[in-house]
Amino acid sequence: MYDPLEDENGQPRFAVSTGDMSWNKTGSWRYMRPLYDNKIPPCTVGCPAHEKIPQYFAYVKDKKYEQAWHIILEDNPLPGVTGRVCYHPCEAVCNRGDYDESIAIHNMERFVADQNLKHHIPQSFIRDKHEETIAIIGSGPAGLSAAYQLTLLGYTVTIFEAAEQAGGMLRLGIPEYRLPREVLDKEIEDIVRLGVTIKTAIRVGRDIGMDTLQRDFNAVLIATGAYKSWGMNLPGEELKGIASGLSFLKEYNLTGSAPIGKRVVVVGGGNTAIDTARSALRLGADVTIVYRRSKAEMPAVPEEVEDAQREGIHIRFLTNPVGFSGNGKVEQIRLIRMELGEADESGRRRPIPIKGSEYTIDADQVLLAIGEVPDLDFLPDSFKLKKDRLLVDHFQRTGQPGIFACGDASTGPIGTVVDAIGTGKRAAHSIHQYLSSKTVHIPEEPTDGVPFDTLNLDYFQQESRPQERQHHSTQLKGDFNEVNLGIGEDDAVYEANRCFSCGTCTYCDNCLIFCPDVAIRFDVDKHEYVINYDFCKGCGICVQECPRNAMSYEEELKWA
Amino acid sequence: MSQKLIKIPFEEYMSPGSVACPGCGGNLSMRYTQKALGLNTMIVIPACCWSIIDGPTPSSVNHVPVFHTAFETAAATASGIKAGLHAQGKDDTNVMAWAGDGGTFDIGFQALSGAAERNEDILYVTYDNEAYMNTGIQRSSATPYGSWTTTTPNKKERPKKNLIEALAAHHIPYIATASVAFPDDLIKKVEKAKSLRGTKFIHILAPCPPGWKTPPEITIKLARLAVETKIFPLFEIEEGWRYHITHESSGIPVGQYLKPQGRFSHLTEADYETIQRDVERNYKILKMKEKMSKEISAMD
Ligand SMILES: Cc1cc2nc3c(=O)[nH]c(=O)nc-3n(C[C@H](O)[C@H](O)[C@H](O)COP(=O)(O)OP(=O)(O)OC[C@H]3O[C@@H](n4cnc5c(N)ncnc54)[C@H](O)[C@@H]3O)c2cc1C
Ligand SMILES: Cc1ncc(C[n+]2csc(CCOP(=O)(O)OP(=O)(O)O)c2C)c(N)n1
Ligand code: SF4
Ligand code: SF4
Ligand SMILES: [Mg+2]
Repeated sequence: MYDPLEDENGQPRFAVSTGDMSWNKTGSWRYMRPLYDNKIPPCTVGCPAHEKIPQYFAYVKDKKYEQAWHIILEDNPLPGVTGRVCYHPCEAVCNRGDYDESIAIHNMERFVADQNLKHHIPQSFIRDKHEETIAIIGSGPAGLSAAYQLTLLGYTVTIFEAAEQAGGMLRLGIPEYRLPREVLDKEIEDIVRLGVTIKTAIRVGRDIGMDTLQRDFNAVLIATGAYKSWGMNLPGEELKGIASGLSFLKEYNLTGSAPIGKRVVVVGGGNTAIDTARSALRLGADVTIVYRRSKAEMPAVPEEVEDAQREGIHIRFLTNPVGFSGNGKVEQIRLIRMELGEADESGRRRPIPIKGSEYTIDADQVLLAIGEVPDLDFLPDSFKLKKDRLLVDHFQRTGQPGIFACGDASTGPIGTVVDAIGTGKRAAHSIHQYLSSKTVHIPEEPTDGVPFDTLNLDYFQQESRPQERQHHSTQLKGDFNEVNLGIGEDDAVYEANRCFSCGTCTYCDNCLIFCPDVAIRFDVDKHEYVINYDFCKGCGICVQECPRNAMSYEEELKWA
Repeated sequence: MSQKLIKIPFEEYMSPGSVACPGCGGNLSMRYTQKALGLNTMIVIPACCWSIIDGPTPSSVNHVPVFHTAFETAAATASGIKAGLHAQGKDDTNVMAWAGDGGTFDIGFQALSGAAERNEDILYVTYDNEAYMNTGIQRSSATPYGSWTTTTPNKKERPKKNLIEALAAHHIPYIATASVAFPDDLIKKVEKAKSLRGTKFIHILAPCPPGWKTPPEITIKLARLAVETKIFPLFEIEEGWRYHITHESSGIPVGQYLKPQGRFSHLTEADYETIQRDVERNYKILKMKEKMSKEISAMD
């Protein structure tokens, strides 16, 4: 047949290519292999509960708040609480902070929790069923977190709580204007709904013995917090009107009233001091905080110190009490001025009194908030302590078989709600391993998050962090309404998108778009990218152009 | 659960299996260009890397016919094919000449100039890797000042030819620069070219890892830096006089683009300064042309 494209010998007249190159398996050229490899972001490492932050942000982007909440719940059953009161160590290590401003992670957590106030933790979260029962002493965040995780693992948990109501410091210490009780009640109720029994008004050591618990339960977890306030051992400290800040807070928080003076002096620089002062202010007192170091050394969260000062609390920095005086009841407090010397073991500069700088101010109530230690009198002497706390190992074990401890009562990371939640979770997993196999092995804590310099910043632009709304009262007296109001939906979605999503694929398609060799496709059914290693030449462009280090590039020999 | 940073058409008109080096900017240029052109297209390729990349005839990674032709003839061959299609009443078929910088700036320039002057209804794309790469990195008139090549073993002393201006002097309907680091911009420009009749010319800067002495994974990074340093600004020219910058370069110092490239490794700070000065001047000229063409448009 005549073909105009062929000459008389049947050879093509022109070099026209219409075939394909599927026979040319260029994958054999590859000596480096790109692969999808999600990694842990710094925020997740920084969060003591290791919340999966970019993962729940992914749902916030799509306004799927219930799914977002479910992701948080894997690690923390109290996001409405932590979203409000956590000191957010996650934000301090957020990579976005190296670029413009760290992501407002705690506002995001609170937003997600608040969107789900009408939802309950699904019963389907309970993954298993076991016969063993566990007693937990204390219903603070540590006890609640452990009870929740153990319930999900299938155990029957009973919490014994000395106070009339559950919640620990969340209810007894933290004031309502920072943590509305509806939120706390809702999140505790969710845990109870899953089947946790909380027996309130039962103090272990008084109403029931430790030995009974050991006999009746397969394991015991001590989560009793730190309630004993330190005194100052100063002359006149026994005078009426001098008490611990914590006892004042506890009384007000449980009963709705507490005796209040006109001129209140609060001693200390931590969060208990700030909460005591702001609560006293709301009860109508004129409040002064006395703190022996300067503002920079204050352990309290800077934002809350700002809030306290804005609300009208005076702070006398570099000042310490040396004695109290009064006629049966405190009337005056004698102070001395301090200066900062060398750094001490906490890394902060040691305050040294300035000789001859003493002076006196009037005060009809003094509240000491200089630290709390656990009250472990209910335990036999056989338990080992370290710096007044129950000594535990990495697995939250006390050394006594079947007895574990977590939260502020034990050694380890302590002092914050999220530390309590994190150690509670770890204790639950330890108890599970102890009961199921008698050996305990928990994966090491993550230590390295995706480093900032491994992100590809070409795909981001400078954007500012949303500002949290606040309620500022003109008439503070009697106003225990919440001060911080969180962020709205637009800001939450914006913030979820501003997150780099370090180490976590967002399905941005960059890898697929920039592959010169058409060797990447997206599998819609599996919802994942697939690299065709028959053809991938291993140029590494996909790995380089991934904005968030969610891919790796490895020597092909490793895969041979 | 997806967050697209760049949006490009989903359909692929190119398959894997090409013979391009890993990380080849030329390979990627073709992939994007075809996304805009679609199946009703014929491609003319003269001697250049791409005549190898595509595969030995009759094999081809492209889903449309590829006509291989002699080094200097891309524009003439494309014109002829277009005329043949016209004779058959197939005016809607896109005919694209696809040539390297050597085949465009140097040996193919005569044919290109002729086609442009006649305003043949073709799209001419040059994927510019700034040297004769296929034959072992010889200088072309597209090789930039300062670059090493095997035929400029010290450094090239002459600046890169401003081919865009030479084409503008032909008053063709559409001229654009494009970059593999900006695929959406590139595809938009090809779509625009496709919608216009007459000669369209697109100049794509296509990093070449072996020729530029760079690791393959930084191809996109370099293409982006070329744009952001103002060395290779992204713009278009309509009718030879209406200038429009499509992406404002951020003005990163040229050193950031030059340093990672082995072909520039011998350059000194003084060279960087010379290059920076030229780049600033050229960008100013471009900005003024854009401004001037706006003013002239407003007078009409
Ligand atoms: C005023 C104040 C404000 C704070 N603000 C913050 C904040 O904003 N953010 C933050 O992260 N951290 C804050 N903290 C610290 C935080 O509250 C604690 O670190 C955290 O609550 C510790 O949790 P936990 O479960 O270990 O103990 P707790 O919360 O103290 O709970 C222990 C529970 O055990 C019960 N209990 C004790 N002994 C017995 C017994 N023998 N039998 C039965 N039950 C017993 C107690 O009644 C209590 O309910 C604050 C602390 C205080 C005092
Ligand atoms: C008339 C003629 N001279 C020389 C050659 C050899 N030759 C083939 S490709 C090429 C270089 C092509 O360079 P360029 O157009 O920049 O494309 P690249 O290979 O860089 O992609 C040369 C010199 C030829 N094929 N025909
Ligand atoms: S940018 Fe997002 S993923 Fe990265 S550390 Fe910050 S919150 Fe976490
Ligand atoms: S030599 Fe350069 S242009 Fe040619 S195929 Fe290799 S990378 Fe692409
Ligand atoms: Mg070339």
